[in-house]
Amino acid sequence: MPVAEYINFMLERMDDIIVLTGQHIQLSFIAIVVAIAIGVPLGILMTRFPSISSFILGLANAVQAIPSLAFLGFLVPIFGIGSTPSIVMVSAYALLPIVKNTYTGLTGIDKAIVEAGLGMGMTEQQLMTMVRIPMALPVIMAGVRIAVVMAVGFTTLAALIGAGGLGQLIYRGISMVNNRMIVAGAVPAMILALAIDKIFSFLEKAVTPRGIR
Amino acid sequence: MKRNLLMGISAVLITVLIASCGLGGGARRGATGDTIVVGSKNFTEQIIVGNMVADLIEAHTDLKVVRKMNLGGTSVCFEALKRSGANNGIDVYVEYTGTGLVNILGMEATTDPDKAYETVAKEFKDRWNIVWLEPLGFNNTFTLAVKEDFAREHKIETFSDLQKISDQLVLGGTMEFMERPDGYPGLKEKYDFKFKDTKSMDIGLRYTAITTGDVQVIDAFATDGLLVRHNLKILQDDKHFFPPYYAAPVIRQDVLEKYPQLKDILNQLASQISDEEMQKLNYLVDGEGKEAAEVAKEFLKEKGLI
Repeated sequence: MPVAEYINFMLERMDDIIVLTGQHIQLSFIAIVVAIAIGVPLGILMTRFPSISSFILGLANAVQAIPSLAFLGFLVPIFGIGSTPSIVMVSAYALLPIVKNTYTGLTGIDKAIVEAGLGMGMTEQQLMTMVRIPMALPVIMAGVRIAVVMAVGFTTLAALIGAGGLGQLIYRGISMVNNRMIVAGAVPAMILALAIDKIFSFLEKAVTPRGIR
Repeated sequence: MKRNLLMGISAVLITVLIASCGLGGGARRGATGDTIVVGSKNFTEQIIVGNMVADLIEAHTDLKVVRKMNLGGTSVCFEALKRSGANNGIDVYVEYTGTGLVNILGMEATTDPDKAYETVAKEFKDRWNIVWLEPLGFNNTFTLAVKEDFAREHKIETFSDLQKISDQLVLGGTMEFMERPDGYPGLKEKYDFKFKDTKSMDIGLRYTAITTGDVQVIDAFATDGLLVRHNLKILQDDKHFFPPYYAAPVIRQDVLEKYPQLKDILNQLASQISDEEMQKLNYLVDGEGKEAAEVAKEFLKEKGLI
């Protein structure tokens, strides 16, 4: 029974799988936090200075177009091996959906709502924090959600530069022609992506202002 | 109600983040102080010999050894070695003379093993302050392999035999092999191969590809354990295109100066592993599914080195 074989193998390697899953979560999580910390302010900045918006979006698009392995190759001479280059790469890829959705979310708000705020005498600062950002939050979260699932996938490449993660089982399995090992890495990575997607869909609903739910 | 939920989720996420930052920081700190970082490329043999190097240092010194095995190829290992273990890189890994000569130095291939070793030893020292220790014994040369029954059917023994029917065949090679000057580009010129098509793929996938018949010829490593498992025949390089690939540890000069005892410790491995022994060790991992680290340790114990 092949399925039983696969499950047995996973049980045998459970210790490894748990450690590698932990590393995987850690690497993708730090990368996503970095991407949010850069992406959201960048998106807000773009609404303030529309002239730079096409440049920044173009840049984020261009980064996305670099083949991931080539990107890693560039990063090793600069950052060495280990978690740093992996986090840099994953956050660079995760940036686009976050920047894009922040920008779209903020610019797509109904003019009437903004004007109502203005009519109430809000300053530009107040408009941003009390109207624009809360209204855009569901869209921003949708971008973060895409970015997180991507990050979990891209983090498998971390194994190629000594940062560990579930990619280690996947790449080791490929080079040993051992399908059980590939599955032992791929299935937890998949479950991780789905679980995180679920958590963020929950968050997405939770941050939607009551008025527009 | 909603607000509480949101706060709860945020609290969980922040906790995970803080915990993970702590862990990450701890792991990174490992590479400083009296620590040696041992690396390896991403195939079985490399992981085995990399573990041997790490085990020997662990057994004979008080140094802390960090293992960075399974790095994605020659360039990642070599770039990491140039940076040093204290600087997010590695301090020592096992390299092959032919790879050092042609791939890293970009020099002409030679068929003389001693000359190859002397050249890489001198050039690595002069250019990067990297020292080649004594070779381990085996020569993991590149070669071409076909299925055994295919070889019998078409009476193929040598690369020249293969050339005659190459226009009907598809070659599958590792990405590195398809690009390296001491790989397919040079080989093609030397033997005038006219393969119908060539496909580059990951190291292990070419064995799957030749088993399913998607390709008929693959590049192989002479000491590869998977050759046995897949009933493949190694062909003879009758025009001697491939340079010798004797494996030897390469280590940073500054590390050797700081810990001079490492030289003698690692040179205990000199000429200890023959081609057959290396193939057997690789087979234990790739064929029988043992752990590379265990196979390395058992071998060292057998030889009385740890």
